[in-house]
Amino acid sequence: MFRRPIKEINAEFKAEEKYLDSIQRTVRESCIAASMNKKEITSVLLAIEEGATNIIRHAYLYEKGLMRVRIVIYKKLVVFSLIDYGRSFQPDNSGKVDLHKLVESGRKGGLGFYMIQKIMDSVEYISTAAFNELRMIKRIHKEKEKGRPFLRWMLTLRFKFSVWTFIIVSMIIGGSIYYFDHEISDGMYRHKHETVQALGTTIAAQASGYLINNRSDVEFDELLVSYKRANPELRLIVLTDATKMIRAHSDDILFIRKQYQAPQGLNAYIYNTPQTFELGNEDVEFLVIPIELRDHLIGKVYIIYTTEGIYYQLADARTQIVILTMILLLFGIIGIYLLSDYFVSPILKITHRIRRFTSGDLETELPLEGAEEFFEISKAFNQMITRLSQDRKNIAAREKMAKEIEVASEIQKTLLPNKLPEIQNLDIESFYRAASLVGGDLYDIFQVSEKRYCMVVADVSGKGVPASLVMSMLRTVIQIYGRQLQSPKEIIVAVNDYMKINIPPGMFVTVFLQIYDVETNEIVFVSAGHNPMVYFNSDTKKIEQLNPKGMPVGLPTRDENKFADSIIEERRVMCDDDCFIIFTDGITEAPNREGDQFGIERLEEFIVAHAPDSEIRMSALSEKLIDLIDDYTGFNKATDDISFILARMQIKSSTPIEKQKSENRLLVRKINSDKA
Amino acid sequence: MDNISISLKENESKEISEIRVDGVIDTLTAAELEEVIESLLKRDRFKMIVDLAGVEYISSAGWGIFISHIKDIHENGGDLKLANMIENVAEIYELLEFDNVLKAYVSLEDAREDFGDTISSDNSKKKGHN
Repeated sequence: MFRRPIKEINAEFKAEEKYLDSIQRTVRESCIAASMNKKEITSVLLAIEEGATNIIRHAYLYEKGLMRVRIVIYKKLVVFSLIDYGRSFQPDNSGKVDLHKLVESGRKGGLGFYMIQKIMDSVEYISTAAFNELRMIKRIHKEKEKGRPFLRWMLTLRFKFSVWTFIIVSMIIGGSIYYFDHEISDGMYRHKHETVQALGTTIAAQASGYLINNRSDVEFDELLVSYKRANPELRLIVLTDATKMIRAHSDDILFIRKQYQAPQGLNAYIYNTPQTFELGNEDVEFLVIPIELRDHLIGKVYIIYTTEGIYYQLADARTQIVILTMILLLFGIIGIYLLSDYFVSPILKITHRIRRFTSGDLETELPLEGAEEFFEISKAFNQMITRLSQDRKNIAAREKMAKEIEVASEIQKTLLPNKLPEIQNLDIESFYRAASLVGGDLYDIFQVSEKRYCMVVADVSGKGVPASLVMSMLRTVIQIYGRQLQSPKEIIVAVNDYMKINIPPGMFVTVFLQIYDVETNEIVFVSAGHNPMVYFNSDTKKIEQLNPKGMPVGLPTRDENKFADSIIEERRVMCDDDCFIIFTDGITEAPNREGDQFGIERLEEFIVAHAPDSEIRMSALSEKLIDLIDDYTGFNKATDDISFILARMQIKSSTPIEKQKSENRLLVRKINSDKA
Repeated sequence: MDNISISLKENESKEISEIRVDGVIDTLTAAELEEVIESLLKRDRFKMIVDLAGVEYISSAGWGIFISHIKDIHENGGDLKLANMIENVAEIYELLEFDNVLKAYVSLEDAREDFGDTISSDNSKKKGHN
């Protein structure tokens, strides 16, 4: 019906209100795991609280108990189960609860169930003999998440790998471009300065000859103009003599014979070193070269030039480099992305395989291929799958076994008497509790003839299924022989004859069997290696242990008659208010936390304390005894089955004859005890 | 752990009782609120506003109080109005369709107004006396 569950959570809590918080926490975590939204979680928690509160209050009536929470998460829905082992509860009309009816009634009772119905998409209440389950199903409404695929793509390994490689490569390339660009531009500027310097020096050399020879100014002027024309980066060349008088000017002939004024803020005495200043809109260099003759300054050459040409040249080159780098990077990224694809594809393959595994495919293995690392992953994964599938098979087998045991337990329960017969003058109660699903204890009370009843308590050695099967067999045999034969001894001998052939080797049964006669109020009993019967004498107010000798049933004997010889039959007439308990050692050997046993003394004390109260019913006394044992053992899990038959003589119909009879019996007993 | 604090303010002239609740109304704390409401009903005060501004969570025990008394209140010509529910609580209120039975208001003023005409002025009068 459903797809396989994604996750299953099981937890067990004590059914108390103070544990509601822990339950809520478990549920909340599961809801988050099922990726429910906040609103859904809030409402689910409310429903769970209602369900749990209901169990505490109504299933257990605030008494001790356990609550199991099982949450199964599927892809599109979550199944919440609250399981208890207490009283089952009948939802109102077992159908839909109507809010208006609730309001009309003015009751609060059905509201919890109404809320659960409203919140959950489906609610079922399953009540079996062993447990009650409130099963609630909530659908998960996943919101459509837009833009999510892109975001997820951004988070993929491939994308991250590509981005990081891109950043690192870009930084390396950018860094090296910056470095080389710097070097080149520095070199170009240096070169430019050197060129102008060389030019200036040449002019100075020529000028020194010119100044000495005092040639025509115009002639030299023309020389300067032609220099300027030949070198476009030159803005101005001025030649002065030692008195700063201009002797040649590249711009205008009119400046000749005038004083030269260096541009503002510049020092005309710094030689051979360019000084930068602003002329018009451009940065220009101002260079002063001295004209010397035998260490005498005879004049200066002033050159103003620009380096802007280099800037444009460089800018052009840079643009080209950047474009080229971009193109290369683009190809690089594509390459990296494709390459990462190659590396990641084995991971994708493994992921795909794991997906199939989670959806139930336990068979196909991962191909062992790819790089060494992936080879190892695949190998480890294959091993894991193999182990898991084995485990699953084992679990399935174990579950099947558990199911079978459960069936055995059901069958066994039907074998125990579900209703005790009404026995005249006898208030009788029985109790049975198996330590595990199937028990090895037996109790039975059945009518063998019109006036006679057979009562049996037995304990099969061993536990579990074998013990329970022997117990079933034993009950049948006792029922058959109990009706056919008269005395308890005859019955137990016949039972033994049958059992010793059919019981598995090494197993045996201790049996306490007695026949009660309604007419005479007499019990006749035998014990096949069983615990003594604890008998309360209402006359002396004392306890007696009635423990006739006898071998356990089912033991192999060499001598045919050995069992029969060992069995001793005893009898006793019961008086009004006499009381007895036949039990298995599950009671006396019940351990407390320290490992001390409950012991027969405690049982006797209990009987002495309560039996004299002629008002108390055996059913109440039985409950008290169970409480006493449970209090003693505390949370120790019972290690053995517990069963007992508890009865008291109670002569109700006080007809004169009955009264007389009863008094007679008391008298007889007194005489007997006096004799003793 | 879970705590609850309840304060009651009664408007004499208009017979409106305002119950301010803070905390969590669940199995453990619901009894306290129920006591307050029942004491009002005993004194024949059937007009109430429950201010839920400080309530983080209401379990069925809490809703049960409102649901179980609302019929009685209506029959006596009163009303029980809920005000200032926070988002979480309001979501549950809607989901459970309690809006069919209990009226909810965004603010105390709205709830007061719905009870009668000039309650706000009434309120200011009261302040003046103090």
